[in-house]
Amino acid sequence: MVFNSYTFIVFFLVMMGLYNLPISWKSRKIILLLGSYLFYAAWNPPFILLLWLSTVVDFFVGRALYTQENKAKKKLLLVVSLIGNLGMLCFFKYGAFLLENFVTVVNALGMDYHPAKPNIILPAGISFYTFTTLCYTIDMYKKESKPVKSMLDFSLFVTFFPHLVAGPIVRPPQLAPQFESPKKATAQQIYEGLFLLSLGLFMKVVLADGMLASPADTVFGAQKSLHTLDAWLGVLAFSGQIFFDFAGYSTCAIGVAACMGFTLPENFKYPYAATGFSDFWRRWHITLSAWLRDYLYIPIGGNRKGPFRTYINLMITMLLGGLWHGANWTFVVWGALHGLYLCIEKLIQDMSKKSSLDENGSVALPDQKKNMSWGFMKAMFVFFLVNVTWVFFRAPDFTSAWRLLLSMFSSVKDSKAVLPSLDVLVVAIVIVLMVLFHWRMRNTSVLQAAAKMPAWLLGIVWSAMLILLILSQESSGSFIYFQF
Amino acid sequence: MKHTPLRNALLLACGIVILFLIFWETYLRSTGIGISYDDGPELWTHKRSLVTKEQERATVFIGSSRNKYDLDIEIWRSLTGEDAIQLAFEGTSPMPVLDNLADDSLFKGKLVIDVTEMLLFSTNPEDSRLAKKGLDYYKNITPAQWFSFQVNKPLESKFVFLERDYFSIKALLKRIDIPTRAGMEKEPLFPIDFGRISFDRQNKMSDKFLKEISIQDSVKNIWSYYSRMGAKQPPPTQQSIDSIFQVIQKDVQKITARGGKVMFVRTPSSGIFLQIEQQIFPREHFWNRILSVTGAPGIHFMDYPEQQLICPEDSHLSPTDAITYTKSLVKVLETEKGWSFPNKTKSN
Repeated sequence: MVFNSYTFIVFFLVMMGLYNLPISWKSRKIILLLGSYLFYAAWNPPFILLLWLSTVVDFFVGRALYTQENKAKKKLLLVVSLIGNLGMLCFFKYGAFLLENFVTVVNALGMDYHPAKPNIILPAGISFYTFTTLCYTIDMYKKESKPVKSMLDFSLFVTFFPHLVAGPIVRPPQLAPQFESPKKATAQQIYEGLFLLSLGLFMKVVLADGMLASPADTVFGAQKSLHTLDAWLGVLAFSGQIFFDFAGYSTCAIGVAACMGFTLPENFKYPYAATGFSDFWRRWHITLSAWLRDYLYIPIGGNRKGPFRTYINLMITMLLGGLWHGANWTFVVWGALHGLYLCIEKLIQDMSKKSSLDENGSVALPDQKKNMSWGFMKAMFVFFLVNVTWVFFRAPDFTSAWRLLLSMFSSVKDSKAVLPSLDVLVVAIVIVLMVLFHWRMRNTSVLQAAAKMPAWLLGIVWSAMLILLILSQESSGSFIYFQF
Repeated sequence: MKHTPLRNALLLACGIVILFLIFWETYLRSTGIGISYDDGPELWTHKRSLVTKEQERATVFIGSSRNKYDLDIEIWRSLTGEDAIQLAFEGTSPMPVLDNLADDSLFKGKLVIDVTEMLLFSTNPEDSRLAKKGLDYYKNITPAQWFSFQVNKPLESKFVFLERDYFSIKALLKRIDIPTRAGMEKEPLFPIDFGRISFDRQNKMSDKFLKEISIQDSVKNIWSYYSRMGAKQPPPTQQSIDSIFQVIQKDVQKITARGGKVMFVRTPSSGIFLQIEQQIFPREHFWNRILSVTGAPGIHFMDYPEQQLICPEDSHLSPTDAITYTKSLVKVLETEKGWSFPNKTKSN
């Protein structure tokens, strides 16, 4: 089920009604769990079995990991959990990709091997709930948090419908304890939740689907070289589309959870205002980058094994992060580019740290009056380089990606204009406003900004979002991140 | 509790939204616009799902927009006592849908295929896009999408502003007159009065459209635009045409072998449109060949004086003429083609 559908509106109203019945907390949690299963099954009912399997296995393995004192047995349990979770992810998400690459290698070695193409459907949200359950078992292994006491609470931790399909990726201590004691949303939480839900839907339906999807699709679907203007506008449109799509989903998820009295972690913090690449990853898909940092980058050594290994570890993390997004080499290149950017940034930072050491060996304080315009210029440079990476993220293959990059950076002979005047205007206006808005909001949150606005102005802004949402009539387009 | 302006803002926002929607709906209705359904893959999927369930009491129609304008479904129901399931797509070849019905082993009902030669024999993928989108949606529909359709149906039947093709933001923006970029031709937009769509997927021209020649001419200009665009595409080769004949033959054979009935119809066109069609797709090389390779019967409008009607914009019939045409179609099916409608006596 997607948030931007009539089905969800009905589901949400029914859930709010049932969840607020004057019955025991356990009964309300059971309602929440059954509702979450219904939310998932409304997409493809059989795949709920995978979710159950993952929940049951990790609940018991997690508990055993926490209590097991024998190191060998403990490691074995962890391996069982990793194989179970990652095996399922590998089969459904990477099965076809692995086979395709295996066939390429085998054929390159001279063997004539052509197996039938596997027809594997990717269960929605598998990458998200696998990471959620994985971090639980790893935490149990490291005894970083206590096991969830009841199967009901653990099932809710994994399945709670707002975050189930596309995050935010929650950690056990962030969500599981919230199910332990009775919860009821305060009036304030409900207003904030409804505001965030309206904002998230506005971002997804009006901006991502209504304004930017079509020009991005046109440009990335073009089979010929494009005018430089068209190529850039298509890439910019996609950069806006993917932000509004995914941040819109996260905003809806946080808002829906708030309406029930729960708090989900922040997932986006105006990423196009980032003044560096590490800053970008602290603002874009925050819960994934934090997951990769804590469960991959740090365990493989992080920055503890010298500068060279730090760069290698950064690259490994970003390459796997790229592959997490999709079973295609283009995603790996996307991750590699981000890894490269991070390495270069780190190198520059290390060098400038050395040069800014004074005679006593302490770091010279940065000029407090470093002006805003320099920061904005850095943000625009980061935005420019991030846009280059989006080409590989969105392009279906390398041929299309190279053709588009060539169009972006050179004047190609016989190139074509594909975007009508209206799309040119819409993309230009929406992207400029988006970037300025990100910059203006970079150190605050939307709820903080809303709290400072007079009610009449906020009411007008809110009504404008709702009216545009209703008039958009893009009711059931699924979110881009569902495919990941 | 921390005080924020959110509660008052929410109340104000709800008030503004309700007032705006009342104003917008009232304004649209005051201009004479009535309800028209969104004819997207959701509605098509709903109709497609009826095919095997209703096949004992219904005839399936596939083809392009001519079928949607020329068949008056109410008249069809009253004359046959049976339903008409309209599966045609505007501006689209019926081939993907014909393939799908032929491959559906449960389908053994009555099928009417509209022959608009320039679409049926097109090899341009764009001419199959809508059908493929509809089929894709039908094959992969989720329970959530099904439920959304059930909620949307009563809403669409009550509110004019919920018409996506003309009143969504995207559609409204497209109607702003902005100079086109050099080297690009602006895609023309059909006037709203050209096609109002019922829940049965029948298109009807409005009274205003029938009265105002200038609106009719604007649609004729759109045909010229598409004709110019079509001329830029490489013409279908004899080989591709032959292979389409082969696929049609195979598909028809599959359906008739299961006990299904197939009828080809050539719906009316007139004026310059008809002249061009006759020139590019001569009857003896296309229509006659379809009937001979498939062995299926056909009804060509040129063979029946009562079907030789004038199309206001050269390609589709007016609602009044659609009634005349449908009556004639039922009559020919019963009297000449041996089709029977067993439910007729019960219903009439």
